[in-house]
Parts: sequence; C-alpha cells; structure tokens
Amino acid sequence: MSVHAGARERGGQPGWVVVLEQELRELWVAGRGLVLCFALSILLSALAYLAATNQALNFLEQRESVNLVVQVGMIVGALLALLAAADAISGERERGTLESLLVAPVSRRQLAGAKLLAALSLWLAAYVILVPYAWFLARDLGIVGTALVASFVVGTLLACFLASFGLLVSLFASSNRVSLSVSLFALLALFAPTQLPGGARQGWFADLLLHVNPVTSGERFVNRVIISGSGWGQEFGWLVSPLVAAALFGAGAVVLASRLRLGGGGAG
Amino acid sequence: MRRLCIWATALLAAGAMLSASAAAATDPAPGLSATVDRAQISTQLGRSFEFRSTITNSGPNAASGLVAHLSVLSVREEPYVDPEDWSPQRVVFLDPIAAGGSRTLRWRMTAVDAGAFGVYVTVLSKDRSAAPAPNTPTIALRVSQRRTLNSGGILPLAIAVPALLGALAIMLRLRRRG
Amino acid sequence: MSAAVEARGIAKRYGTQVALEDLTFTVAAGEIVGVLGPNGAGKTTAIRILTTILRPDRGSFSVAGIPSTEPARIRARVGVLPESAGYPERQRGEEYLRFHARLFGHSSASARAVARALLEEVGLAERGRSLIETYSRGMRQRLGIARALVNDPAVVFLDEPTLGLDPAGQREILARVRALARERGASVLLSTHLLDEVEENCSRVLILNRAHVVAEGTVAEIVRRAAAARRGRIRVPPEDVERSLQTLSGSGAVQEVVAADGAAGWLTVQLAAPASGSADASLNAVVGVLVDAGVPLLACELEGARLSDAFLAVTGGA
Repeated sequence: MSVHAGARERGGQPGWVVVLEQELRELWVAGRGLVLCFALSILLSALAYLAATNQALNFLEQRESVNLVVQVGMIVGALLALLAAADAISGERERGTLESLLVAPVSRRQLAGAKLLAALSLWLAAYVILVPYAWFLARDLGIVGTALVASFVVGTLLACFLASFGLLVSLFASSNRVSLSVSLFALLALFAPTQLPGGARQGWFADLLLHVNPVTSGERFVNRVIISGSGWGQEFGWLVSPLVAAALFGAGAVVLASRLRLGGGGAG
Repeated sequence: MRRLCIWATALLAAGAMLSASAAAATDPAPGLSATVDRAQISTQLGRSFEFRSTITNSGPNAASGLVAHLSVLSVREEPYVDPEDWSPQRVVFLDPIAAGGSRTLRWRMTAVDAGAFGVYVTVLSKDRSAAPAPNTPTIALRVSQRRTLNSGGILPLAIAVPALLGALAIMLRLRRRG
Repeated sequence: MSAAVEARGIAKRYGTQVALEDLTFTVAAGEIVGVLGPNGAGKTTAIRILTTILRPDRGSFSVAGIPSTEPARIRARVGVLPESAGYPERQRGEEYLRFHARLFGHSSASARAVARALLEEVGLAERGRSLIETYSRGMRQRLGIARALVNDPAVVFLDEPTLGLDPAGQREILARVRALARERGASVLLSTHLLDEVEENCSRVLILNRAHVVAEGTVAEIVRRAAAARRGRIRVPPEDVERSLQTLSGSGAVQEVVAADGAAGWLTVQLAAPASGSADASLNAVVGVLVDAGVPLLACELEGARLSDAFLAVTGGA
C-alpha cells in the first residue's frame, strides 16, 4: 500500500497527547460533557436567582449565598471529574475496547495520565460556568476576586484528588458498576461531615476529622475566606489536607497505572 | 429644732450607708474597671472595624478567672442582631491581672447589618459569679447602608447560560448524527 | 532471516489454574499459522502474551525479531484483532482508524490517508463516515482487521476473526487473511474453530489442549501423525463386487464397505481403527482379506483423514 511505502511519515504526537485529544473529543464534541454542564448551569441559575432576588438577606447571608453557589460549583465539578475518571479504565474494559489500547505503543502510565487530564477538563468547564454566577453575586460585596481564586484553588485540588481516586478505583475494579459505586460512595462519605451541626464539630476528634478530610477541609477554607473574610495565611491550615491528598493520590494514580491489567482486580 | 437636726442627721447617715451598700452592690469585683478606646464608630455595611477595651485591676489583690464577653445589640427594633454574625470571637478568657495591672483586648467586628447599634464588653468573674460584672461604656455604632445586592440582570444570566450550553449540546448532537 | 515469531518455554498461570505450559513454536516470515484448540486450551492467553498484553510467568519469545524484553517495540510491529474486541459505538469508522493510526505515530494528515486506504481495503469505504453503532457484526470484524493493519505490521494476530459471522462472512474474512499474507508479506497467527478453513488457508497448524501444545506442523503432518486414515477405495472386477462386499463385511479390519460404483468395481471402505501401526497397515489388512478370499485386486488408494479427525484425536474429543 502506497501509504505505507517507505518510512512512515513522522510528525505524530506523543501517545498521551493522542489519547487526550480523543478523550476530549468524545467528552465534548460527542456531547456528553456539555449535557453535564447544562445540568450544572440549571442548578447554579436556580441558586443564583434565589439569592440575588431575596432582598431580605443581610450582608452576611449574601456572603453565604456567594459561598453556597461557589461550593455547589466546586463540588459538582469535582464530582463530574470523579465520575469521568471512575469510568476511564473500567469503562474501556467493559466495552471491550481496552485490549486495543493496550496493544498500541502507548505506555499504561501515558494512557492513564491522559484519561486523568481529560476527566479534569470537566472540573475546568464547571469552573468556567461558575464564574459569571459568582461574579454577579459577589460584585457588590467586593469579594469577587476572593471567591473566584479560592474556589479555583480549592476546586482544582479537590478535583485532582477525587479524579485520581476515581482512576485508581477504575484501574483495579472488576466492573464499571463497582468502580462508579465505590467512587460515589467515597465522595458521599467525604462530603457527609460538612453537614454535621456546629455542636458536633467540637472536640479534638472532630477537629482532626475535619482537618484530615480534604473535602471538609477545603469547604472550611472557602467558607472562612468568603464568609468571614479571613486571610489566606490565617486559614492556610485548612488547605494542607487538599494539597496533600491531591499530590498523594495524583502520584499514586500515575505510579500504579503501570499495573493496569486487561482484567480487573489485578488479574492477568 | 434640735430634734429635727438629730432626725436629719440620722436620715443622712442612713442614706449614706444605703448609698455605700448600693455602691458596693454595683461596684464590680473590687478595683476592676473596664473602658473602651472609642465612644462611637461609623462605618459602612460589610466593612470591618476594630476597637480596644482595657480592663484595669485597681484592687489590692490579683484578679483571676476573668472572662471578657463582647455584646452588640440594636437600639431599634429592627434589625435582629445575632452577635455570632458580627464577630467570630466574642469571648476571651483572661490571664490573672495583678494588682494595679491592666489588660487591653482588641476586638474585630464586621458590620453585617445597617442601622444604629450599641457595642460593649462585659467582664465576668468565674470566682465571683454572683458579683455584678463591670461593663465598658457602650460604643455607639452607626452602620450606613451600602448596596450589596443588585438583582438586576440575574434573570438574563440565569437563562442565558443554560440556554447557550443547551443549544451547543443539541447542535453538536445533530452534527454528529448528520 | 529471523523467525517472525519464536516462543520458547512460555508458561502462564492464573492463580492455581495453568493456562499455558511450555509453549514452544516458531512462525516463519510470511506464514499463516492456524492456532487450534478447545475452549480454555490457552489460545487467547498465548496471543495475549505474544502481543505483550500479558506477561508470561516463564519463558521468552520474540516477535518480528524483537525480544520480549522490549514490549513497546513489539507492539509497534504487530497488529491484533482480539477475540472479544469492542468498538466505541459513538465514533465513526474512519475516526476510529485515524485515532489508532495516530497512536502508532502517524500525523493527522497521514492518519487520515491510512484510514481511508484501509477502509477501502476491507470494503468499508462507503461506511467510513457512519457511526460504528450502525455497523453489522461482519463490518465490525472488518473494521477490526483494518485497525490491526494501521501500523503495517510484520505479524498479525487474529483471535477468532470469524466468530459470530455467517458462512459468507467467514469466507470473506478468511479471504482477507490470505490477502494479508500474500500482498503485505505479513505473518499471520490465526486462532479459529473453523478447521476446514484452517486446512485451506494455513500452511502450518498449532494445536493446543489444556495449556499444552499437542500437535504442531503442516496439516498433512499432523493428520499423518495424529489420526488414522479412515477411508480407502478398492477396485475389484465388477463380477466380484458382491463377493468382496460379503467378505469385507465380515472382516474385523473394516467398519463399513459400500459399492461406490458397482459397475466399475469401486468399493469405498471405512477402515477400522488399527490396534497399532498406521492407516497403511489397516488398508494392508483389508487387501490381505481380499487376497485370501481369491478376489483379484485392480487398484487401491487411501483417502487422507481430515484435520477435524486429527483435532479430535489429539484433543481427546474434548
């Protein structure tokens, strides 16, 4: 065949770039990502409208409204990244398309890394959607910059942590259902302590739990910075857990990706 | 005349004794007093402000077990004031103040409502819980209104963003199928 | 020239279950080798090891002259159609091939050209822009073969490429397999259950059973070694046909004898399995029976046994 005659035309991109481009195309051009973003925008629109039109809110409650919209955007964005990552490998396995990828000259780490980055694009898209709502609610409170920067930093850390976690589960799950279930359960378990009443958050154990849990810790940081107006240095302790979790699980996902097997559960 | 003078003197003495005891009743833990560095504060809604209160122990003994508590109240019926909203730290447990010594506390608050308010600090003693607590003079706080919630334009935004995303999703889906 | 595939002592276990034991064979360049075996024999495991998807517990191998210690280089030189290959339903055929071509280092423009050429080659040129979810089973298999060729591989591994296809589809796929080796000079390892097609297309056969290689060689070699020829044709004078039928029917060397062409004197004899020795010995015994009965023998010939017979014989009818 003439197209194969002689040396193949070089100029191809690294394998992970090719995989990333394909994943992004499937997410965004095929439309699944946009549908999810549409759903998020509906939710944010409802919240923002309720907050913006309620003249009975006092100043603090207005800040709380900004905080609420920002937190919803953050947590939903991180959730989307988690679910996309949880489907990354186990989904390919279940659809029977993993084997074709494994015989391509792309290392398993490159494959997993590209899918992780594609999953994180959902968080970035969620953040972009969040920006106009946060700006609108926070502009007259003078906390636009604070709200946007805090939500970006914390949201990115949480998305990195959760997406990496989802990818790790996906690498070893025996089925896609298991992968998605475990990931979702983990997120709910991490998120649950944020709903504890104030009294239950007292004591050394509760304090430790809230600090160690990246989701509660990140939520507390954004809370303090937006509502209480605390400085970043003052509340930096709450950022440690999300930072460590993002770094640890991110590195873990990349390292353990080399153990990616055709069958789940480490079989094969 | 003489009898009148005696009765007057007795009345005056009794009055003095009563005053003394009343003064003693209202008198804080002997020698403790509290002051603030400002008599009035004017600010805008949403702004933060600070003031200092100084607790002085003029008594012969050291004062221990002291708790300083920040209070804020509205001088009118509206709005409802929740002190928790105004300051995250409203209670300070003090180290013992030596005889003749004093302690200055810095209080940081955020004006979360507009209106006229009174702010003061109360010093309680854990050891003498039955004794009246010294209060600082009340700071007259005026918070002027500032527009922080502009609902104009939210509806177009709330509709436009989902509409744009939805249209984009549909367009791409149709293009794929085509 | 080095062998296209060389396996030496490959072994693989899944827990306590032995999937492969001492797999040793070679495939020459340009050869089509059929890999046969009952379900669970180890065919797919063997292919997955040789294509570097699985790691063997023991042994070594080389593919296209590249040792097993360099799996990435091997993957760049092989094409694989897995047994249970799935396809992304929401991609178009051309898009799918373009993606895989780019994975193998093609630029976007080159990948597009490769994809179109391959679609043309496998007869999917007109369906390249359709979503894969609209493809039939046969079309998907052809797409899979096309994908296996994006990197112009030196060795192509096809695991059950005709699975689920109707006879026409099977013939078409196997025709493409022959073309692969003929036109591209690629070596092909073909794992299939279609023994007839292996006989027609494969120069050599490897039979696996319960993780072991039980037969290897050309079809004729395997048949000769493994199975007794079961049929022969004998020609006697027409007037002796009846007598011959009676004599042979009572003989223990014959299972069944019929007059194939009574007028010409041809008899078709179903030989009994020999107690020992080859099929020739069985036919010799039949000839001896006729000679003892005084029947003149005009001609005799042994019909070769089929691969299916050999397969059943070496796999114990499993």
